Amino acid sequence: MPENRVESKGIVKEDIAYEPYTIAMGPQHPATHGVLKLNLELDGETVLKCTPHVGFLHRGVEKLAENLSYAQTLPLSDRLDYIASMANNVAYSIAVERLLGIEVPVRAKYIRTIVMEMARLTGHLLWLATHALDIGAMTVFLYCFRERENLLDMFEEIIGARLTTSYTCIGGVRQDITGHFLESLYAFTEDFPSKIAEYETLIDKNRIWLKRTQGVGIVTAEEAVSLGLTGPTLRGSGVDYDVRKHMPYDAYPYVDFEVPIGSKGDVYDRYRCRMEEMHQSNSIIRQCIEAMPPGPIRAEDAPDLVMPYGVQKEVAADATFSSGVIKLVKDRHRYMDGDVYVAAEVPKGELGFYFVSDGRGVPYRMHIRAPSFIHIAALSFLCKGQMVADVIAVIGSVDVVLGECDR
Amino acid sequence: MMAAGSSHHDLDRFGIIFRASPRQADAMIVAGTVTQKMAPVVRRVYDQMPEPRYVIAMGSCACSGGVFKTYHTVQGVDEFLPVDIYVPGCPPRPEALLEGFIRLQQKMMKEEMRWSRWR
Amino acid sequence: MEPLEIAKKVRDRYPSEFIEAYEHRSQVGIVVKKDRIVEILRWLHDDPALQMNHLADLCGVDYLNKKKVRFEVVYNLYSIPQRHRLRVRAQVPENDCQINSVTEIWMGANWHERECFDLFGITFNNHPDLRRVLLPDEWEGHPLRKDYPLDGGGKRWSGYEEVVEKSKKLREYDFYGLYQDPTKKAGQKDARE
Repeated sequence: MPENRVESKGIVKEDIAYEPYTIAMGPQHPATHGVLKLNLELDGETVLKCTPHVGFLHRGVEKLAENLSYAQTLPLSDRLDYIASMANNVAYSIAVERLLGIEVPVRAKYIRTIVMEMARLTGHLLWLATHALDIGAMTVFLYCFRERENLLDMFEEIIGARLTTSYTCIGGVRQDITGHFLESLYAFTEDFPSKIAEYETLIDKNRIWLKRTQGVGIVTAEEAVSLGLTGPTLRGSGVDYDVRKHMPYDAYPYVDFEVPIGSKGDVYDRYRCRMEEMHQSNSIIRQCIEAMPPGPIRAEDAPDLVMPYGVQKEVAADATFSSGVIKLVKDRHRYMDGDVYVAAEVPKGELGFYFVSDGRGVPYRMHIRAPSFIHIAALSFLCKGQMVADVIAVIGSVDVVLGECDR
Repeated sequence: MMAAGSSHHDLDRFGIIFRASPRQADAMIVAGTVTQKMAPVVRRVYDQMPEPRYVIAMGSCACSGGVFKTYHTVQGVDEFLPVDIYVPGCPPRPEALLEGFIRLQQKMMKEEMRWSRWR
Repeated sequence: MEPLEIAKKVRDRYPSEFIEAYEHRSQVGIVVKKDRIVEILRWLHDDPALQMNHLADLCGVDYLNKKKVRFEVVYNLYSIPQRHRLRVRAQVPENDCQINSVTEIWMGANWHERECFDLFGITFNNHPDLRRVLLPDEWEGHPLRKDYPLDGGGKRWSGYEEVVEKSKKLREYDFYGLYQDPTKKAGQKDARE
């Protein structure tokens, strides 16, 4: 019977053995980096269709933010991308500062750039560790966590928390950094390139690694832009788009760095991009430490937890010079109707915050443009026609965090 | 949780090894926020584990919902799972998780005749 | 190109669709009607002088009791080769809560629109796969609407209610007849319940 037969490459087969079947991968599968569920429609080992399901970690951060003041929402940004939370703090802070028109002191800008690049290192190290573990290299995992723990210890030194730091605040940073921190960080940066070389000796010329990554999950430049990919996932395809260069924020205009770009757009190119980015981050940290200016670390009139409306200090008219009485003026002129979209380059890609303000101390609407959300949406495109084993490599290479994806 | 398992803190020295499958596991760590969409999955994973089985709620969100009192968040995983050990913190330090494991081991040593076919 | 110039170009080309342009913190946005939104965005995407090829963000906003038109769909566009940015806001009234999909221009708009449908209930016409993305399929209501309470008003997802019911039943299962808990005195209730 003709309807029971399929024609494939000129050979007519009975299709009973080749009927496509569906498996559900996740949401508790260890290789999906969290609670991602993939419904794979398979023909043998080839993926015909891949449907990602997300939302298993949807906590309603956007709705919650509409009920909290700007400063109170900052700790929620830690819980987005919880493996590089410093970067989220900075992204959130620059967005709110743009909305309220606050200028940040230069020292705070440099400190933020340092912690952002440290967060990029921690994010990329964890990415490399888990990606290599998924593909089958156990040793890299242990090596990467060694350096990651060093960085987390330094986070602990400046703010007291390892992961959910909430270090920045609107208009600056919460606490000043110490000389000891700068010294230990400088010593770390001197050592770190040799550590990257160590990881590269393990996997860079490893034939198994090359076979499993090269030519897998290819996405061309036009497709990558159309899919909305950002970060190293986009740059692996050869598109020169980095928010740090295109819309510079904090101290990025003052430092000198390159944006590594791949060419083929496969898993291996994305891996190379991230490895090069670690070198660049290392160099940015060094430049910032060398150029670190003294000065205040917070803008005077920024709103904070205790004063959600941003207090302006004014000398009272009847005050004598010696009494030093200052009048605190409740100043709501910062909060006006309007909306801004501000993005920052976090380890995963472009993390954007879209704020709508209606003149109150709480955001009327906050939307988070989460890179992981868009990257997971692209998985159905990237995984089509791949083998099941390659799906793991592709998920690892686009570097997703579900806390950020589901918000 | 990953830091606790890796080189600095090393869970293996307590005889604790991560298993990829619930069928071979003795204890389950509920790490992070559990949402209403995730709850049936968590419950199914728990049902897949062989008895005796234990649950560690790791983190404030798993213990009580944490800061997320919203429409889609489960306010504490103990609404639908019997939790043995609560590890607070957001997220808990690796040392806190180690302490939780040790407390669980102590609890296991003390108990007798606790398990039934259903729970 | 300066963003205000782009806004002028849009006004000249689509005068009937154009409502207003504004600038806030040196970011320029335009407000348009929703009917020819795909045409406008395709022109912004394809025009060689504009090349808005990066859809940075797409989201909905609910202006309940604030504006005449309740919903807005916001497109944040960026041009990677030309390095300029424009925000397009399309007004979507409550009684006609639908807008055309832009997935044929940007593949990445797919999930953005699903999210917007999920959380605001705005329907996107011609969308290839319009389902809820973050919340379960049987979820009632659209949480990011302003009239939806933060904690869901005490309502819970039916699937979750099932799980809670099931676990309650399993806990009530009488297994004390099988053996005695030595740490518990007779007649005392289990502290776990």
